[in-house]
Amino acid sequence: MSDGAALRRELRRGNRGPLVASSSLFVSHQVGEALVPVVAGALIDRAVVTADGGALVRWLVVLAVVFAVLSTSWRWGDRVFTKMYERAGHELRLRIAGRMTAHEGTSERTGAGEVVSVASSDVEAATMGLEAIASAAAAAGGLVVAAVALLVIDWRLGLLVLVGLPPVLLVIQVLVKPIERRFTEQQELVAAAASTATDLLRGLRVVKGLHVEANAADRYRRASRTSLAAGLRATRLYSAQQALTVAVTGAFVAVIALVGGRLAADGRISIGDLVAAVGVTQFLVAPLGRVGWAVGELATARASAERVAAVLAREPGVVDGTAEVPPSASALGSVELAGVHHGALAGLDLVVPAGSFVGVAAPEAEAAALAELLARTTDPSQGTITVDGLVLAAWPLAGLRAAVLVAEHEAPLFTGSVAENIWAAGPPSADDAGAAALLAATSADEVAEALPDGLSTAVTERGLSLSGGQRQRIALARALAAEPSVLVLHDPTTAIDSVTEARIATGLRAQRQGATTLILTTSPALLAEADEVAFVVGGVVADRGPHADLVGRNPAYAEAVLT
Amino acid sequence: MSADQGPSSTLLPVADRRATLAALGRLLRPRRRLLALAAVLFVGRAAVGLVGPAVLGRIVDLVRAGDAASAITGPAVLLAVAAVAEGLFAWAGPAVGAQAAEPALADLREEVVDRALEVPAGEVERAGTGDLVARVDGDVAAVADAVKQAFPQVLEAGLTIALTAVGVASIDWRLGLAALCALPIQLHTLRWYLPRSSPLYASEREAAGGRSQQLLETIGSASTIRSLGLAEQHHRLLAGRSQRAVDLVNAATRLRTRFFARLNLAELTGLAMVLGTGFFLVRGGSVSVGGVTAAALYFQRLFDPFNILLYLVDEAQAAGAALARLVGVSDRPAAVAPTGAGTDASVQVDQVRFAYDAGHEVLHGLDLAVAPGERIAVVGTSGAGKTTLAKLVAGIHPPGSGTVAIGSVPVDAVGSVAGRVPVVLLSQESHVFAGPLADDLRLAAPHAGDDDLLAALRVVGAEGWALALPEGLATVVGDGGHRLTGVQAQQLALARVVLVDPAVVVLDEATAEGGSAGARSLEASAEAALAGRTAVVVAHRLTQAVHAGRVVVVDRGAVAEAGTHAELAAAGGAYARLWDAWSDQRERGAGGAGAV
Repeated sequence: MSDGAALRRELRRGNRGPLVASSSLFVSHQVGEALVPVVAGALIDRAVVTADGGALVRWLVVLAVVFAVLSTSWRWGDRVFTKMYERAGHELRLRIAGRMTAHEGTSERTGAGEVVSVASSDVEAATMGLEAIASAAAAAGGLVVAAVALLVIDWRLGLLVLVGLPPVLLVIQVLVKPIERRFTEQQELVAAAASTATDLLRGLRVVKGLHVEANAADRYRRASRTSLAAGLRATRLYSAQQALTVAVTGAFVAVIALVGGRLAADGRISIGDLVAAVGVTQFLVAPLGRVGWAVGELATARASAERVAAVLAREPGVVDGTAEVPPSASALGSVELAGVHHGALAGLDLVVPAGSFVGVAAPEAEAAALAELLARTTDPSQGTITVDGLVLAAWPLAGLRAAVLVAEHEAPLFTGSVAENIWAAGPPSADDAGAAALLAATSADEVAEALPDGLSTAVTERGLSLSGGQRQRIALARALAAEPSVLVLHDPTTAIDSVTEARIATGLRAQRQGATTLILTTSPALLAEADEVAFVVGGVVADRGPHADLVGRNPAYAEAVLT
Repeated sequence: MSADQGPSSTLLPVADRRATLAALGRLLRPRRRLLALAAVLFVGRAAVGLVGPAVLGRIVDLVRAGDAASAITGPAVLLAVAAVAEGLFAWAGPAVGAQAAEPALADLREEVVDRALEVPAGEVERAGTGDLVARVDGDVAAVADAVKQAFPQVLEAGLTIALTAVGVASIDWRLGLAALCALPIQLHTLRWYLPRSSPLYASEREAAGGRSQQLLETIGSASTIRSLGLAEQHHRLLAGRSQRAVDLVNAATRLRTRFFARLNLAELTGLAMVLGTGFFLVRGGSVSVGGVTAAALYFQRLFDPFNILLYLVDEAQAAGAALARLVGVSDRPAAVAPTGAGTDASVQVDQVRFAYDAGHEVLHGLDLAVAPGERIAVVGTSGAGKTTLAKLVAGIHPPGSGTVAIGSVPVDAVGSVAGRVPVVLLSQESHVFAGPLADDLRLAAPHAGDDDLLAALRVVGAEGWALALPEGLATVVGDGGHRLTGVQAQQLALARVVLVDPAVVVLDEATAEGGSAGARSLEASAEAALAGRTAVVVAHRLTQAVHAGRVVVVDRGAVAEAGTHAELAAAGGAYARLWDAWSDQRERGAGGAGAV
């Protein structure tokens, strides 16, 4: 059984109670709908034709009962169903988000956009399978009652409808299929134009910077006109489809009227029967159409369930460790890399003593690989990395993440206030002096001063409302506030001017007093503060020593960090 | 300095009812003939729809009269003909209506995007691009849905109801009166429903938006969440937002089911009244059984149109609000076409003052002159006004007072004259436009051939990776396409500058991407892109200052120092402090480190 099939079964089983309840209620609603013309026909027969006042009252009561049943059934069926449907989607979305943020990570690194789309539209389509089931059950219920009613009125008329209508609707389906396919294509073109507009506006600052507003408007106009042509075709196709259904079912009702009318004229069925037969035939069109819809919807649900299941079943990026470790607070923070190969790293050796402040001046690829390994999003292909003498792979991930924090370059900020961002991973220090020192050390205090509401200023859309330098300082303060035993910073100050950067370097060092800090950067201001700098060339440490010494004796180093 | 609602909540204008109706009239007037034809077709359909129940009633009467079975054939054929005719009308009406309405809709959305692109940068900054995007995305879709689906359905339902009422009344006016008994219940239901549904649906949409945004944030920031150990916190956040959306959907469903239950009651009342009245009329001999049958069938035909009509009132209201927001943008006056082109590539900034918010001046009478072909570096600490200066020189914001001119023509008058854009701004904020790479570049030069595009990429050192993409220039990049690295995206931005080919280029920290190593390679790309142009380069990496012909230090909204790197480094002023910090000559004094 595929993952998707298992997921669909899980959805069905997990919601069996409400699914059965809502389907039964929908069936009862459909039965009521099917019975309305039958009762109306009976009333005309038994009361209007015979002028029987008592019968009128009795049949009006029956009509009221039928309405009460169909109305109540729908009311509760829809509520039970919606509750179940929404809860199922809610749980799947949370599971997907949980899978993506789990400590183990995932081995696949496809774009977040794709996963977001799975978590929104595919989850909706997959749970739509539940609706298809309920809807098909309801339609089937209505069909059975209508069929029985017709057969009771007159078996010939019943047979005509039951044998004649499905092929007629099938012919409509066949005729409509290509229309539907083209309709979907047109819809996609229409959607494409909308996303062109959105994309152009998201890049509005770029467009304005280049003063190419007119070109951008032209581009949208072209997309809009393509969309217009597609939209017109889509509307024509859609109304053709509607027209076909109207004409064919109308013609079929004419046939029923002809046959039923002749039967009535011959006295084989009553007038009420004729009215009921016509009414039931008209009723049948909707549930038969819904069966077709449900079949199509189930196919969509199946494809979406596969995609949802694929995300949930992603391989973990790393395997959780099982070693016993002391509580994170007591981690010492010594880091050692021995013969490490991964990406651009070619047998890197590096010892970072506990409590030291070490710089690593490495080319971009090497720095990125190092950050990835220390964050343990993946394991080295060769060599070992240990923290406090324990191999990374043996650390329980929760403990490791608490002990070692890798602050990625360009780490996104979260929606919330500036303060909420800074103290996201740790409560504000007990004393205000500590908080103030943290803000001053990272120059985040200057950021707050420049913002309209200071630390309470709202951060929106991944922090895009702030400048690059402001974002970096808040992200840096956030990493420091977490107070990990080992802090790994990857290019934390690329968007910050050199005076501020120098101040941050000093503050950083003071803040991290007694804890281990590893900075991956080629910025001289930061490297100058390090106890020691490891200069990485070609995936291995080529030289090491204090920044000033290296600048003086190693021309390659001076070239790498000072130009 | 605090505005009433804070500058961040200043949204773009919304049109009032009169302006909205006027705009609607302006859009539809040229298409009034098609609209009239569509109206005729819709009426035709509703009229043909009356045939069915009348003919069925006629068949009932024929049977009652004891006519021969063969007498049924004629009416049955009429039914079939009416069905085919109704089908034809059902096809032609919406098709013709769309031919009139959809081009009007396209005109409107193009106007909106045109104006949206022209909205002054300052206004967009205050309102946020979010408002603009929401209008062009959500509101256009809401109006389109209304035009394509809700409006034809409402029209059809309304006509069906009106003509069917005529049909029922034509059998006997008392039957018509009986059918009307449903109306008070429906009106009462609507009055009960609307005040509840509109705010509920609005908060439902808002909650759904909040959930999507949280999903995007949680999944998009997954690795940061993992490393900061915030998974549980984000799980709670997402669970809370998702639960709120779920709760509101359930609340809306409860409301809707109650709404339909009341409509069911109206249906029952009307149907029972028609049948009951029919009973007495038949007994009194004024109406035939066939007449009552037709009346009952007519009334049943009204169920769906009524539900559609009442249900869509809500959607129509939402579409109306969306339309008002669109007209709010489209009714803005079009930008004035720029008049002059600069005479040369010099930049003059004269006594320029500027404030984003009144009373909070950022530039205090700044002077700056850049000779044609000169390259200056603008340096200074964060918040000194460098970025503001860059935006003013590039004509993104007009100066509050004083003048900014390119080749002695004020920048706001230079603008994007057909032909050549005199000045462009490139900032650190990059955007890769979704679509083929070639289309992204052609935004800068619509008529450029593939060779021109490759040449521009070659200049900035991007030709190699561009050709190595899976489908070269045709590779789909940006949102949903191939992901470019930060450095690649910025090289692309520089290639756009080459294609626009302006006389003056302003770079605002445009080469700081991708860490120090990335910055170095971007600086090389920028170097090539700037060749032969006047350049104003805002930089914090002082290497760029070293290579510039002249360095201008901006401090607290004014020029503090200007001169060559060597002069200023030796002058012991603000620049010397920056340079010392940069080259780290403070205490460690690694001699000669400054020799770059």
